[in-house]
Amino acid sequence: MATIDSSVKMATTDLDLKRDVILEAKGIDKEFNGVYVLKDIEFDLKPGEIHSLVGENGAGKSTFIKILSGVHKPSAGEIILNGQSVSFDNVGQSEKAGIRTVHQEINLVPYFSVYENIFIGAEKKKKLAGLPYTDDREMRKAARGVIKRLGIDFDVDTPAILLNASMKRIVEISKVLVHNPNIIIFDEPTTSLGEEERERLLKIIKSLKNSGLSIIYISHNLEEIMDISDRITVFRDGRKIDTMNVEEASVEKIVSMMIGQKSYSNYQRECSYCHEDIYLEAENLYTDKLKNISFKLRKGEILGIAGVVGAGKTEIAKAIFGLDPIYKGRIKVMGNEYEPSPQNAIDNGIALVPEERQAEGLIPSYCVSKNTTLTYLNKWCKGWVVDRKEEIKVTEEYIRKLSIKTTGPNQIIRFLSGGNQQKVILSRWLNGNFDIGIFDEPTKGIDIKAKEDIYILLDNLAKAGKSIMMLSSYLPELMCLCDRIIVVNEGSIVGQFNPKEKDAEKKIMAAMLGGEV
Amino acid sequence: MEQQIKTRDMNLLNFLRKYGTALGALVLFIIFSFASKNFFTTNNLLMLLRQMSMLTIISLGFTFVMGAGGFDMSIGNAAGLINIVFAISLIKSNSFLVALILSILCGLAIGMINGTLVAYVGLPDFIATFAVGSIVYGIKMLITKGNPIFFPDDIPAISVFIGQGYVGPIPFPVILMFVFVAIAIFTLNKTTLGRRVYAIGGNPVASLYAGINVKKYRLITFLICSFSVAVASVVLTSRLGSAQPLAGEEFLLDAIAVCFLSTTMFGDGEPTGAGTFVGAFIISMLNNGLTMMNVAYYFQYITKGLVVILAVVISVVLGRKMNLKI
Repeated sequence: MATIDSSVKMATTDLDLKRDVILEAKGIDKEFNGVYVLKDIEFDLKPGEIHSLVGENGAGKSTFIKILSGVHKPSAGEIILNGQSVSFDNVGQSEKAGIRTVHQEINLVPYFSVYENIFIGAEKKKKLAGLPYTDDREMRKAARGVIKRLGIDFDVDTPAILLNASMKRIVEISKVLVHNPNIIIFDEPTTSLGEEERERLLKIIKSLKNSGLSIIYISHNLEEIMDISDRITVFRDGRKIDTMNVEEASVEKIVSMMIGQKSYSNYQRECSYCHEDIYLEAENLYTDKLKNISFKLRKGEILGIAGVVGAGKTEIAKAIFGLDPIYKGRIKVMGNEYEPSPQNAIDNGIALVPEERQAEGLIPSYCVSKNTTLTYLNKWCKGWVVDRKEEIKVTEEYIRKLSIKTTGPNQIIRFLSGGNQQKVILSRWLNGNFDIGIFDEPTKGIDIKAKEDIYILLDNLAKAGKSIMMLSSYLPELMCLCDRIIVVNEGSIVGQFNPKEKDAEKKIMAAMLGGEV
Repeated sequence: MEQQIKTRDMNLLNFLRKYGTALGALVLFIIFSFASKNFFTTNNLLMLLRQMSMLTIISLGFTFVMGAGGFDMSIGNAAGLINIVFAISLIKSNSFLVALILSILCGLAIGMINGTLVAYVGLPDFIATFAVGSIVYGIKMLITKGNPIFFPDDIPAISVFIGQGYVGPIPFPVILMFVFVAIAIFTLNKTTLGRRVYAIGGNPVASLYAGINVKKYRLITFLICSFSVAVASVVLTSRLGSAQPLAGEEFLLDAIAVCFLSTTMFGDGEPTGAGTFVGAFIISMLNNGLTMMNVAYYFQYITKGLVVILAVVISVVLGRKMNLKI
């Protein structure tokens, strides 16, 4: 009897699925060289919903969407699309089936116009005397239509290089939309966007959902996830922990599922360690991108530089570190005149942890230890000769101190996860005893656990009497970490705030967006 | 796209990727030994070593440039000009030391111009060094009008010894080559210079942010390269006992081939000191072995080209498979 019962139940479930579910993954396993990165993943996507995937870096989110989009084949399990079992050999097949991905990286040809970028690889063609040629008029028209559908209006003949970060992202989305997909996967679309641009993008994604598209959404930003999702699935260590409706979820709950134990608290500093001595002083700096920048940085202070992406935060760091020429104004370090150049900066005790970890931080071909010792290499040298033993020793010390997940000092750094790569870059500077640390978006694209590690580290540095400049477009982290926050907008300083004062967050946000409260 | 590769196969792939080029050299050596009865003789092997000594020295210098992500198209013509400079200054001064110093200064001057144009002015290295090579070629032809210059008989003995002398049974250039190989391997692997050169080759922007004086080190690599060219060219002149208008030209293509073979060793995608030595051995062995087998010279060029393509294909394909893990 029992067997009959269960088979009847199965049949009804199947029927339900056909109606309610557009995409289903059943028992997906994925192994690489005997190591399981995904185990027994169950996942489904309903028509017209936003289903978010969250999890720390390395939890398996990326591998899972790579399976859905045909980059990888699952080792076991099946994918059911519109009630039919499918198997994708390559990305083209999944795209044909109506699944498209908006990737984290922007991939636009800088000198191509917006519409040319949108139709790249899928140009509309006309025939003249039997020979095909591109139908630019048709493409322009279609591109305009797509962009309008997103509720935005700009010239489709603009070269991509002139667009700002969020516009570029919108072009990436348009690139996907012109193919009329049923399912869109967004992989951290708001990375490197400022607060305002982020809001706008989220609105667009919601409007896509309302037009009937099914969306899989990946992000590290939990507020965003809470804001945008209908359902949320949490991954940890290659397994699905839970799927819940957004009403049952809370940041607290998601975080505890992600990290496995309930140790998360919104990070709070205990006290500030500001001294009177001024370590760094900028007076009326002008560069290509900056206008009249003046500020002082004290010993033991954590100074926040807030601003949307492109506001000029990175440019301040570059000016101080001698990477952008200064036309006017001067910088003093410890009260002394200072001529900016990377070598001078380092000699004067200035450290810069750059924003673009891949492009500006890592030597991808180098192992962990060689990346760690790159800047202060002379410390581990006898004459010109590098003392490899000492080098390994100091690297092992930092692997322990910062709990860097790696197989050891000799592992090539590009095989580490983003957060661990960032920790290696941090240890590169930490072993040199700098006095002034400039950290440009130090928590960008890394998981919560690594973020908290970095907050604690910055706090400890301030405690040890270092001056810290923290550049970030993510206001909550500045609010909880900084003694003082300077807001930059369009290359100028537009305000200075004490994060403890009443309504500071509102005022700062307004200043970042160019308004007032 | 991605294939299931068993761990055992991975180990084999890994081994091939690391030592495939060396293995290829060995296979080639065995083939030549069987194909020509004159190949595997003490005399010929010593000759092979002597022939490869100049190419090895030049390629070691080129390894520094390529390690830092650069390229030097002027080495062939630079070798040619230094060939002339050494011969003329030797004849005019009758002093080996003066000729040697002038030759090295000439080399360093070319390296300085290359390095300044590439690192400080910011020209693309291909174009800048190609143009400098063209100028150098013009100067060489201007001086010689295309005629060879022969050493007179009363030349200091040492100027002949450098290229033609023996220490015991071993030709002097071979000893010089091994000294250079040892210095290059040591410098590239163990010193701050080597570390910074490869860092710049790996990611010049990150190197700049890490406080490395990228311009200075790029200039230094060009100076090292031209210095090596000067030394090799002095050996060449001494060996020929004359300056020849076309001498040194084949070094460019051969050195490029050597350094690309070098990048295929150890599977890191960077040229190494040891890899360059093996690469120079392969290219010189091809030159020598094919000559021994009476293969026409144009087939030698075709073979060399094919070997380079094969080497690069193997390293790229294996490299791709390896990177598929995670």
